Amino acid sequence: MRPILLSGHERALTQVKYNPDGDIIFSVSKDHVVGAWYSHNGERLGTYHGHQGALWTVDVDPTSTLLATGGADNTMRLWEVKSGKLLKTWDFATSIKRVEFSADGRQLLGVTEKRSGHLGTIVVYDINPDPEADQADDHALRIVCDESKATVAGFSYLARYIIAGHEDGSVSQYDGKTGELLYNTQVHEDDMQVTDLQWAPDRTYFITASKDKSAKLITAESLEVLKTYVTDTPLNSAAMTSVKDFVILGGGQAAMDVTTTSARQGKFEARFYHKIFMEEIGRVRGHFGPLNYVAVHPQGTGYCSGGEDGYVRVHHFDKAYFDFLYEVEREQAQANL
Amino acid sequence: MSRPAGRTDWADEDDEESSVQLPPTSITKNKDGTETIITYTIRDDGKKIKTTRRIKKTTVKTEVNPRVAERKHWAKFGAEKGKPLGPQTDTTSVAENIVFRPVAAWKASTEDKSETEKKKANLKDAKIKCRICSGDHWTTKCPFKDTMTPEGGAAPADLADDEPEKAGGLGAGGSSYVPPHLRGRGGAGEKMGGKYERDDLATLRVTNVSEFAEEQDLRDMFSRYGHVTRVFLAKDRETGKAKGFAFVSYADRMDAEKACEKMDGYGFGHLILRVEFAKKAT
Repeated sequence: MRPILLSGHERALTQVKYNPDGDIIFSVSKDHVVGAWYSHNGERLGTYHGHQGALWTVDVDPTSTLLATGGADNTMRLWEVKSGKLLKTWDFATSIKRVEFSADGRQLLGVTEKRSGHLGTIVVYDINPDPEADQADDHALRIVCDESKATVAGFSYLARYIIAGHEDGSVSQYDGKTGELLYNTQVHEDDMQVTDLQWAPDRTYFITASKDKSAKLITAESLEVLKTYVTDTPLNSAAMTSVKDFVILGGGQAAMDVTTTSARQGKFEARFYHKIFMEEIGRVRGHFGPLNYVAVHPQGTGYCSGGEDGYVRVHHFDKAYFDFLYEVEREQAQANL
Repeated sequence: MSRPAGRTDWADEDDEESSVQLPPTSITKNKDGTETIITYTIRDDGKKIKTTRRIKKTTVKTEVNPRVAERKHWAKFGAEKGKPLGPQTDTTSVAENIVFRPVAAWKASTEDKSETEKKKANLKDAKIKCRICSGDHWTTKCPFKDTMTPEGGAAPADLADDEPEKAGGLGAGGSSYVPPHLRGRGGAGEKMGGKYERDDLATLRVTNVSEFAEEQDLRDMFSRYGHVTRVFLAKDRETGKAKGFAFVSYADRMDAEKACEKMDGYGFGHLILRVEFAKKAT
């Protein structure tokens, strides 16, 4: 496969996301600019200007009309996808580390950073999907994380739960309506930050990535760890592929150590693991910095990764990828014929 | 073309040349639904070229998501505002091809191995040829650098003792520079070492070997006369066929003598072997 290189950003990428139809990729980077790209040919659709600081996160609503971003300028912003128009700005005391829409696009969640005098919080806003309408100024729900700050969070199926990953390596389940803490389990090693949380398409389970060099598949209902994928490098991101039962893990040497390591040692590769057998099946190299985020095309035809090196690499899988089967899988396919 | 009088610019002349009348492009529709397009162009050397193309137009229908199709026609905005359709070269490029082939038992080492193989392949392309036995290794690494003279080199006996470096020394490659005042005394330097003597005493040179011979065949045949320490069959790097000569070393010179006597003239394959003691290198 020939990856498409998107070089529109001047600084490290922090998050990349496909929209639900998979035709547009949104990218945010530390250079304050949000980019929108067509995924099939890498053409840039446009940029969203207005943020005053590094951007940490981006998410798009299910109909691809609204885009939410959050960054180090202590604001969470809502944009119209089509025109790049800024619709709404919410101000906070600290920076926004993660935003995510609920599955129906009616709610938007933001994770705020912990700083002296301010505890980390998860805020939820009700969203009007009409880009012309006014958005609520006040949050509908506010969860304060007094134990360990949340680094990532997301809505489960039907927005029943809010699942958060914490700095101490634990994962919590909050009630989606009341914000009450239901469960908190230590899934990753102590004090190893959960760096990413991505949902399966039906949002009944999710995958977490952590600095403890492992990724885990966890159910939303009971926070039960289903699978563990062990690597040899701190992970920044983990994604599940549709069509094929794989997971893609991205990571590498910590960004601050990058200049002292070569690309080979730094392990700046996207690692493919089989979702069920938990076995590594291959790697894709290309970045010359750690991978900060990997996102999979919702239809499973490709994936893109954003790196500390400032590039987004868009990959379209070729035949060898789709043909790959384990021996047992092949036998099963034969038996079902 | 009318040119103002008095102006015979070379640039103008050039202009005029290219404006030679060309027949217009003609498009004719054929009965089978194809089209024939005839175009005329002028090549750089001034020759007129007639190009006939027959094309068939087919309509390929693909179903696309209407939302996706609509978004494809959105106007660009932000930094891209006003830019033409299609990817811009300053923001989008195509990276080099990456082979991604999932395998069941993937190991980090598999990729490293492929890289060392690549290096090996590179070396192959570099056409390494030993000057002693024409094998695919460096002359310094030749197992016979002590027992053979470089191919095509002057007969060792012809070399005067006081200038051995001319063919032997440099040919061996491994020996470092010997200053002129030391050349006579030191002789061929390291070649006087024990290794050379040992090898030379019990090594047979076997020639007229069949090209289908294998090292193991030789080892089997020569082992009858004593303990064989080493068999080297020169093979062509490209074809893998034997080059027609081999070296057999014995642990004991007596065995070597016996083997030399018995095996000389022995029929192997479709050829008759010729066995003699390997010649001393100078």
